[in-house]
Amino acid sequence: MVLAKHFKCNMCPRRLNTAGGLAVHIQQVHKLEPENLPRIENAIPGRDGYEVEIFGMEGIPAPDVADYKRRKEIELGLAAGSISQPPAKRPKTENRPMSEEELKAALEAHKALMGAGSNEPALAPADSSSGGVYGAPPQAYAAAPTATPPGPPVAMPPGPPPFLPPGVPGMLPGQPPYPPPFPVPSFPPGPPPPGFPMPPFAPGMLPTGMPSGVPPPGIIRPPFPPAPTFVPQQQGSASPFPPPPPTNGSMTSVTPTGSSVPATPPPPTPSSQPPSTPRMPVLPVPALKQVLPSFKKETDLKFQDPNFSPDELRAYNPKYCIAKSTDKAQQGEESRGKKRARAEDFL
Amino acid sequence: MADPTEWTLQSPPFDSISQVRFSPTNPEHLLVSSWDATVRFYDSSEIVNEQKTKFDHRAAVLSCCWENGTSAFSGGLDCTVRHLDINTETTTPLGAHDDSISSMVWSAPQNALITGSWDRTVRSWDLREGGTPQQQQTMPERVYHLDIVGHMLVLAMASRLVRIYDTRRMDAPLQERESSLKYLTRSLACMANGEGYAMASTEGRIAVEYFDASPEVQANKYAFKCHRQAIDGVDHVWPVNALAFHPTYNMFASAGSDGTVSIWDPKAKKRLRQFNNFNNAVSSVAFNCDGGRLAIASSYTWDEGEAGAKTAERPAITVKKMGEEIKPK
Repeated sequence: MVLAKHFKCNMCPRRLNTAGGLAVHIQQVHKLEPENLPRIENAIPGRDGYEVEIFGMEGIPAPDVADYKRRKEIELGLAAGSISQPPAKRPKTENRPMSEEELKAALEAHKALMGAGSNEPALAPADSSSGGVYGAPPQAYAAAPTATPPGPPVAMPPGPPPFLPPGVPGMLPGQPPYPPPFPVPSFPPGPPPPGFPMPPFAPGMLPTGMPSGVPPPGIIRPPFPPAPTFVPQQQGSASPFPPPPPTNGSMTSVTPTGSSVPATPPPPTPSSQPPSTPRMPVLPVPALKQVLPSFKKETDLKFQDPNFSPDELRAYNPKYCIAKSTDKAQQGEESRGKKRARAEDFL
Repeated sequence: MADPTEWTLQSPPFDSISQVRFSPTNPEHLLVSSWDATVRFYDSSEIVNEQKTKFDHRAAVLSCCWENGTSAFSGGLDCTVRHLDINTETTTPLGAHDDSISSMVWSAPQNALITGSWDRTVRSWDLREGGTPQQQQTMPERVYHLDIVGHMLVLAMASRLVRIYDTRRMDAPLQERESSLKYLTRSLACMANGEGYAMASTEGRIAVEYFDASPEVQANKYAFKCHRQAIDGVDHVWPVNALAFHPTYNMFASAGSDGTVSIWDPKAKKRLRQFNNFNNAVSSVAFNCDGGRLAIASSYTWDEGEAGAKTAERPAITVKKMGEEIKPK
């Protein structure tokens, strides 16, 4: 294996493999004290120290790898975690003719799905594991009831290579490369430097020290209203807990009833998306619904929702939406900030 | 950057910044929670200016707060309350809410963490009891913001509701109020001197309120317009995303989606300063423990939904030196 020697000594032509190697070289050859080592030249600001020992692709601090993947995801417009987590396994498919009963059950399931989930087509994402079934006409569905993944033809090698999310341009043979689905113009291609400079000041910047704006003192409020009347009666006030947030009620209702055939294909659900989360938040206390007051003069109000904060609306965007899990499964989750520990090992 | 009194932090988060919080003990240590599912810990001093630690989360983080100089907490869309150990760089889940955690504060007198959530509860967590919420209070609406000064805990909720609690007696609120602002509450901060609080709405307006319910004191409360601009006869009105009181002078900073930060003297009802050099909405502001620094997080705040995210500038954190100029006359 031949590795590029990235670390050039700025006092002689010698090049070295690692930052630590360069440090030892400077100390031994050029007789510099360890504390007087020059910063590494041409390094990204903040990465010009000797603490991190990277050899080839070994030893990159985990947070930086995660950072990089996250950045790539943003660049390519992919959902969070599509690079940093391995893609979901292909569902197992069984290729055999279906019995009469199975076909019936499948039809029932389909009918239930079409009848019950009126809001489901809106939820259906472009999901490679089940997308072919959604929105297909009934006869096409009956012909392919086993949720075969669409896309790659049968002749291609089985499965995309691991860690490559579907949708990376040029990764799937037989599919023309296409641009990322959600281009984000504010993150142009090319890894941004960690500390990009602030954009220049707006030209109309006021000189500081201008106490020109005085809060209009005319808006003194009348004395305080007496008893607050807005407290709603809690239904079932014996329970201190609020009613659970609306979750996957609609999805459970589509399960076919009375089908005991084990090979019945389940109604296809968008597996990689949280199926329980509606696209819009639901008002928990309709009695307290607010209406936007009108303005006396012409006004461009930048945020207009009187009932949900920008953060709530944002949380319902697919980019940020995650399955709400309140279980304690992530108890053992540990932070991956090991940079400090590594530095201590090295010293 | 020409201005010698301010600098931007290296390696800011990749997505919008939900909160910046300075350490209660170290004037340079800054905690930053972000929609990119991280909490980052910076040494924000002009010389060092370095991200020291990054805590990865499962989902966007909406809030963070300090317990002391080495221990902090976080919460967000994954509903889990986490303890962050700055020294060992580890996170430990303490428990969970039923919906996203919108806000949290550390109550030093009670030695407890108080969290507010869109699940319409406020819970307090005593670290010494390992995990279960020690107390839980059900609220009439989704909790948006919490702030605390001494024993006084102020809650700003959806539907413009406000409740004031004494943290020693959490079973019933001291006061229940309706916001004096007519629009959705967007930010809240308690006065450092413990006399009251300021809150702001999505319609460029700030209300200064007092705890004391006596008519003489209540006569002093007022509200005023800010973070707006008249262009060709049309009033452009932006949300006020954050408020922060100075720890000693009791003036406060307000941050708006119009990309400006203003410093106000609530007693004199005057604006002391305005900084309007941010090309982005300002999503959070914080003074440090000695009042010598103001951290300003500029990033998109979703006022225009997903479309606005595509044209917004990248997030940035500016640290600004605060001198005598912000001392009330």
